[in-house]
Amino acid sequence: MAKLLSRRATLAIPLGAVLMPALPRLAWATPVIGAPAPDFAAPDQDGTTRRLADYRGKVVMLEWTNHDCPFVRKHYNSSNMQTLQKQAAERGIVWLSVISSPPGEQGHVDGARARGLTAERGAAPAAVLLDPESRMARAYGATTTPHMYVIDQAGVLRYMGGIDSIASNKVEDVAKAEPLARNAMLAVADGRPVERAVTRNYGCAIKYAPGA
Amino acid sequence: MLRAPPSPLALAAPVLAFLLASLPAPGAQALESVPARSERASMTLAAELEAVAPGQPFRLGLKQVLAPGWHTYWSNPGDAGTPPEIGLTLPEGASATGFDWPAPERIPFGPLVNYGYENAVLLPLTVTPPATLRPGDVFTVEAQASWLVCEKVCIPEEGVFRLDLPVEAAPRPDAALAADFRAAEAALPRPSPWNAALGFEGQQGALRLEGPALSPALVREAHFFPAEWGVLDHAAPQPVRLAEGALRIGLPRGAAPLPPGPLRGVLVLTDAGGTRSAYDIAATPGALPAQLADAGMLGGGSLGAGSLGAGPVGAGPVGAAPPLWRAMLWAALGGLILNLMPCVFPILAMKAMAVARLSGAARGAVRGHALSYTAGVVLSFLALAGVMMALRAAGGVAGWGFQFTAPAFVAGMGWLMLAVGLNLSGVFQVGGPVALGSGIAARGGHLGSFATGGLAVLVATPCTAPFMAAAIGAAMLMPPAATLAVFAAMGLGMAAPYALLALAPGLANRLPRPGAWMERLKEILAFPMYAAALWLLWVLAQQVGPEGLAAALAGGLAVGFAAWALGRAQQARGGRGRMAGRGGAALALLAALALLPPLAMTPPASAGTRASAAEPGAEPWSEARLAELRAEGRPVFVNMTAAWCITCKVNERVALQSDAVRDAFAERNIAYLKGDWTDGGPAIAAVLRAHGREGVPLYLVYPPGGGEPAVLPQILTESLVLEALPPG
Repeated sequence: MAKLLSRRATLAIPLGAVLMPALPRLAWATPVIGAPAPDFAAPDQDGTTRRLADYRGKVVMLEWTNHDCPFVRKHYNSSNMQTLQKQAAERGIVWLSVISSPPGEQGHVDGARARGLTAERGAAPAAVLLDPESRMARAYGATTTPHMYVIDQAGVLRYMGGIDSIASNKVEDVAKAEPLARNAMLAVADGRPVERAVTRNYGCAIKYAPGA
Repeated sequence: MLRAPPSPLALAAPVLAFLLASLPAPGAQALESVPARSERASMTLAAELEAVAPGQPFRLGLKQVLAPGWHTYWSNPGDAGTPPEIGLTLPEGASATGFDWPAPERIPFGPLVNYGYENAVLLPLTVTPPATLRPGDVFTVEAQASWLVCEKVCIPEEGVFRLDLPVEAAPRPDAALAADFRAAEAALPRPSPWNAALGFEGQQGALRLEGPALSPALVREAHFFPAEWGVLDHAAPQPVRLAEGALRIGLPRGAAPLPPGPLRGVLVLTDAGGTRSAYDIAATPGALPAQLADAGMLGGGSLGAGSLGAGPVGAGPVGAAPPLWRAMLWAALGGLILNLMPCVFPILAMKAMAVARLSGAARGAVRGHALSYTAGVVLSFLALAGVMMALRAAGGVAGWGFQFTAPAFVAGMGWLMLAVGLNLSGVFQVGGPVALGSGIAARGGHLGSFATGGLAVLVATPCTAPFMAAAIGAAMLMPPAATLAVFAAMGLGMAAPYALLALAPGLANRLPRPGAWMERLKEILAFPMYAAALWLLWVLAQQVGPEGLAAALAGGLAVGFAAWALGRAQQARGGRGRMAGRGGAALALLAALALLPPLAMTPPASAGTRASAAEPGAEPWSEARLAELRAEGRPVFVNMTAAWCITCKVNERVALQSDAVRDAFAERNIAYLKGDWTDGGPAIAAVLRAHGREGVPLYLVYPPGGGEPAVLPQILTESLVLEALPPG
């Protein structure tokens, strides 16, 4: 009995673990290429709610971002991201930057800060979507910043994956890499099939809001 | 095996290690470079040699010491991150390989899972210096490395390192760094000794391995880390199933397309002792491997489960767990039958008294007593289940009947039985004229009936009735609420005969009228209680040897004296006599209690000296011995038993030790292995759980030439065993 009694003090702690239910992967989905992309409704930097359905008839590019992530900085410091955004705008492609960090986590911004970041960096997204409860990230199964998705004019998902082919945070690699997201975006705009529809996305882990 | 919750000291250790590693190295250290340091990581380039020899390859490594909470990445980083990179500048004629990657860990972050390293790791690579070097030369290695170190946020870091290695005729190992390199080599994946089949069907896939050493007893956890990014869902749990000689891991597909050719990866197994080992697996995807027949399921690495410190997860019963209602029904039946099992014999006396005391009582009183008894049984079952779950959550190996593995408990129960017997013999009185038991169990009131129920449960648990085995095994795998429901059902089943009295108190009128027969019955029932005390002391003797037994007997003497003194006090006329008697009784009880702590400390008797192991023709069970015998192709009969398990003893007497069974063992060259679970070892607990059991007995018959073992029922007969044995 003494053997058991001596453990009594330790029992209080693990009891909590016993009672804690297994954490479910809340509403986590991996979207499927060739199937309708998950709908979303999120406020942009000015507070206007943006839905996927609003852009029927246009190609949509989703860019998950976190301005303090070294991998994101690689693509903004090299102006790679801004160049792509401008190309998209010229081709009538809707570029939506998505920020899924909850308050208190790296990358979280409010509308004013989002506008400021766009101005500072000379960025040219059609809108910056604020997703502080990580709902949109869960619906798309987004894992990193950056993580890129291309949706066609009919709302069908055509590409998901990396921005390019070299998984590093070094600016000098941008020029050497195969621009995977750019190729996919232009192929969908031209009505061509996407050569590699799923590629490796690389970057910082998205800081998910606790189980929304 | 017991995994204590982390103590403050254990938590401080990584911090301390990190701080120490961050200190400037004393003096010049040629064999470990000047570190690149941040508040997150301290990195060095290290060599396993103090001096290299011409043309002789040696190991070099990027040694990482990380601050608590921070991690770096494996070659496939999982959902996010990137692995470290290194570029070497070597003297002409020298060559180097890339990193060899030690097995990673799953590092959950929200709904994501990364693959990497925490605390400390060394990534080794091999450098071959040119044969043209001469002793006295200096072999200089320069390296430029970059790495990403992440907690919640990620910080890219880089460093430039330089090592000047003296050249001598023969290589000279570096004693200080040898341990780091040994640890790194030990964590590298080895070639897999198993046949691997791998396949996918839609988003589901599986890896199936077959061969030696894959057994539910050996493998506690298994995880497959794919070498290629995105081929598997990095974060999804991988359900693991195990049978003797086979392992199947479910591999949910990821979004990336399957590469052509074989799928590669690293399989990490954690054994029953918590040791990890890693194996290189390469298999060309084909058809989805079949599910294992008759397999136990390990708790798959579900999200976050590892970090909750959930401890060992028991293997489940055959196939999927039965639904809750069925488990509850079996549990209730098992509880009912528990009333008839041989190990309940000691408490038959108590039950008989519990019924007898209802004779002639008013209907309301009958109902009250029956309800109290039922409540006592059910609540005791719930309490036992709760303690058991808590112990296991703490990483313990508590199985059903676990309380009997503590010598102090066994001694205490023995004394309690002695005291109850002395009370029934009339040495002392507690409560009313028809007193039962001792202490609160003897109170005439409802509290007495309640305590009788509790006592009955405590003593009866080692007897896992045949119906209860599967139910308890299944119950421990269910969510806590369901587990408790199953145990409550079992308690209700055990108390059912008395609960019936509560529902129909008129039945009690059928009992004989109260009278002198009750006094006689009481005196006679004292003897089963003495017998129970004897049995418990015999169990104790198996656990603690002669010294412990002597202490327990001395305690019994003290209890006897206390009972006598109390009886004197109760008969004394004067206040002084009463005081003296009570004082003497209290002192004697205190003396007995003082013997308990040393008993708990007594080292267990070695298995060889145990009566339960000393059965002619039987060898002690061990996983290694079993594997050896099976490798020889011999059929094996395994008997898992314990000194406190009466069902086991009865089975051995009537079935296993019969001449017919012994002859069959000899003629058919069947090896007989006997595992002793008297003090509740983790290895046997793992085997029990692997077969869906929470307690002994467990009988397994392994056929000759490999294959799944047959599980025999918990109640054996000679003919049943003879039929189950493989033909010669």
